[in-house]
Order: sequence, then structure tokens, then C-alpha cells
Amino acid sequence: MEMALNLLLAGVVIVFFVLVLLIFIIKIYSAIVQAAQNGNQKRKDAKKAAEKKPEPVKAEPQASTIQTTTDNGAIPGEVIAVIAAAVDAMYDKPVKIKSVRRSRSNSGSSWRNAGLFENTKPF
Amino acid sequence: MEILNSLWESICSIFTSSGLATLSWENYVMMCISFILLYLAIKKQYEPLLLLPIAFGMLLVNVFPGIMANPTNEMLTEAQVLARNLDPASYTTTVLDGTTYYNVGQNGGLFYYLYQGVHLGIFPPLIFLGIGAMTDFGPLIANPKSFFLGAAAQVGIFITFIGAILLGFQANEAGSIAIIGGADGPTAIFVTSKLAPNLLGPIAVAAYSYMALVPIIQPPIMKLLTTKKERSVVMQQLRPVSKIEKILFPIIVVVIIALLLPDAAPLVGMLMLGNLFKESGVVSRISNTAQNELMNIVTIFLGVTVGATATGQVFLSVSTLGIILLGLIAFCMGTACGVLFGKIMCAVTHGKVNPLIGSAGVSAVPMAARISQKVGQEENPANFLLMHAMGPNVAGVIGSAVAAGVLISQIPH
Repeated sequence: MEMALNLLLAGVVIVFFVLVLLIFIIKIYSAIVQAAQNGNQKRKDAKKAAEKKPEPVKAEPQASTIQTTTDNGAIPGEVIAVIAAAVDAMYDKPVKIKSVRRSRSNSGSSWRNAGLFENTKPF
Repeated sequence: MEILNSLWESICSIFTSSGLATLSWENYVMMCISFILLYLAIKKQYEPLLLLPIAFGMLLVNVFPGIMANPTNEMLTEAQVLARNLDPASYTTTVLDGTTYYNVGQNGGLFYYLYQGVHLGIFPPLIFLGIGAMTDFGPLIANPKSFFLGAAAQVGIFITFIGAILLGFQANEAGSIAIIGGADGPTAIFVTSKLAPNLLGPIAVAAYSYMALVPIIQPPIMKLLTTKKERSVVMQQLRPVSKIEKILFPIIVVVIIALLLPDAAPLVGMLMLGNLFKESGVVSRISNTAQNELMNIVTIFLGVTVGATATGQVFLSVSTLGIILLGLIAFCMGTACGVLFGKIMCAVTHGKVNPLIGSAGVSAVPMAARISQKVGQEENPANFLLMHAMGPNVAGVIGSAVAAGVLISQIPH
């Protein structure tokens, strides 16, 4: 019985200790990664701003301003308007969209995405 | 007349070697249990991917016990060896009472060889590889406090350990029974294969049965321990997690856990390897194999061989009833501890945490998280707790592997 009580105490302490340690480590590295990414983003923004001052284009909804420069001009205006509306809905304050680019991520074909959607739909 | 005698002797010989003459009543009872499990797997679809092979393995071993037979060593005289067209020079000899016998090895049954993957602790880590390749740790990285709930839900394991000791089980058996509370089949099998292989059948059947019964067992406990107001708490949206964070997560976790708790390294290591396959995005073929083909193959072998350990003579005993009862207690305790810790977090954060996500701290991915979502939506249909519950849910997988490491390292075996 003494052994059982020892195991109860040791088990609970070790499990909590290991997982709490992971909490701190995740928080620290997440903060470092986010700070590094924010720094990179700021540098990129500053570089872009120095290269070319974007000319805002008024678009609906009024709170947002869109510059319709795209990678190759293949994104239809309607899609950009929808993206602008979605962005506007997400933020409470007026925002400015500087550019819209197609994702270059290797996420796969439409069939794969459709399969993914089908499998994750129940969740 | 001689022909008729010969025919009769042949019939008698076939009958005496058949199952009808050699099987005991326990085998027939186990066959009936396997029929019920097959019905539950096929008709009710309770965890069919595991229950069906387990039930069929159980059926097969009770109809033909030789399929699980150990390899044997037969001692034959030279005349017997030559009669079998074997080369005597190929075998070692033993001299008994002046007679030389040749040691001719006999192969074991098919399931004996497949079972070595369970016996040597190979299959559960391979299952974890597949689980890792299918798991998104994003909700846990976005809200690392979920680890508290994953840890709290493991307390039930250690409380049940005391209960099992009080009921008269040996420490190694009590540890194997208690791990059922982790609600993680591969972890339960891994721990049992190390601590008490003789209990593998009843413990695996109990663990997977309770995992299948999560939708029935958990909601009453969750409702009993929470108020309507607590169940209605709407949690803030989780922040997006970058790819680099997701890639670093498995590397950091495996280093920390393997350093601190080496006994948990096989499970956590393979879980994190699978996750790194997924998140790195550079080995999609391997990732797909780990979560599909490999996972399916190992599931078949694991299922049938675990089922094959449930022979009538082993399974039909008073200790099996104790295991099933204690397993249920462990599962309920884990759920209750998770919810209670969720209540503490709710109070500390002034109502920002819904305690219902605490029940997902027992593993059972993603079923337990879906139950949190379902019970939460019963109170507030506009409340979406699923992603918040996935954090404790995947933390529970890591937590149960850590608890397994503690049991293996602390209990003499």
C-alpha cells in the first residue's frame, strides 16, 4: 500500500512536471518564433514601401482599401472584392490590403482538397 | 471388412484430433463472446477497425488454439528422423539412457509469430507513428495551457492503481489495469506487454471497449460535475500557429520527454516522428504511408493477435471481471479529474475556459473532443468547442505516454 501511495504521488508529480515544463518551453519558443516572424515581416514591408509607394484604390466595403496588383493579374476583380469583404469582416478597424497573391504552398490538387474537406467535415 | 475398419479408425482419428473433442466449455463461451463483439463491430460499428480483428482473433484462437502455439522441440530417434525424410546431420542430438535423440524443432502457430510484434512492444509505437502523422498539434501549441488538462486526466490512472492493489492485484498487474484510464489502446497494450503480458487479452478488450463507449460514459460525468453556466462558456478563438512552430514542436517534445523519461521514448518518439513527417511537408509519401498503409497493416496484426490472447482459460476468470470494473473506474476517474481541473482553470481565468474541454484530456482522439463539442452545443448551439478540446485531447496522448513511462520505470517487472 505504501508503494501504491508513493506511485500515486510520484506519478502525478512527474506527469505534471513534464507537461508544465513543456508549457513553458512551448510558450518561450512560440514567442521567439513570432517575434522573429514579425521582425521579418516589418523588414519586408519597409523594403516594399521603399521600392514603391502603393496607390490605394477605393473599393467596397468602404472601410477597406485595395490595391489590385496581383502576381500575374489572373485573379478576377470579384474574387479580390470577396477577399476584401472577408478581411473587413474579420477586423473591427479599417484595414488596407496592399496585395493579393495566389498561395504557392504545395497543398495539392482540388481533388485532394475536396477529399480533405470530406474527411474533416464531421469535425 | 478390413476396409471398413480402416475407414472407422480414420474417422475416429479425425474426430479425436478435431476441435469437437479437444475444446473445453470455456472455448465455446469465448466463441459466443466473439460473436457478440463481431455483431457490435459490424452492426453497431463500435470501433470496428479494431474490434473486428480483435473479435475474429478471439474466435479463431478458441476454435483452433494451435494457431497461437509456441514453437516446440521434438526429440526423435534416428529411425523417426529418417522416416520423415529429414537429414539427421542437420539437428543437434541428446543422449538419454544410451539412446541418441535428434532435436527437431517444430514451428509455432501463425499468430505466435505475428504476436511477437506485441510481445516485444513493436506494434504500439508503430501505431503511434501513424497517429502522429494524422495529428494536428496546432490547437495545443496555440494554447499550451491545455497540457494541464491532459495531465489532470491522467490522475485517474494513479488513483485506480491504488484501487487495484486494494483488490489484491500484484503491482505489475495493477499498473497494467490502471493504464486503461489513459483511454489509449496502444499505450495500454505497450504497458501491459512490459508489465503483465498474461493480462494482455482482458486489458486490450477492456481498453478498446471503453474507448468505443466514450459517447455513453463521459457525458453524464461531464454534466454532473459542471453547472449550466460553465457549460455555456464561449472560448476565445485560438491564434493561428505558424509552420515553423509546428515543425519545432515534435523535435522539442521528444528531446524533453526522452531525456526526462526514457521509458516513454518509444511511444513519444514515434508519435513525434510521425508528426514531423506531416508537418515538415517534405516527405509526403512517407507521411501518407505512415497514416494509411502502415497503420492499417499494423492494426490488422495488432488486432488479431491481441484478440488471440483471449483464450477461454485465460479470459474467463474472476480477475477479468476485476479488470473490466477497475478499467471503467479508471476511465471515469480520468474524465472527472479532467473536468474538475477544467473547473479550476475556469475559475482562475474568470470564465474564459469551458470546463467541458477537460474531459478530452483522456486520449481517445478525436472522440473525446467531439463529446466536449456535443455536450457544449447542447447548452449553447452557437458554441464551437471542438478545436479548444483538441488541445487537451492531443495533450492527453502525450500525457498518457508519460504516465506509461512512469509506470514502467517505477513498477518492478
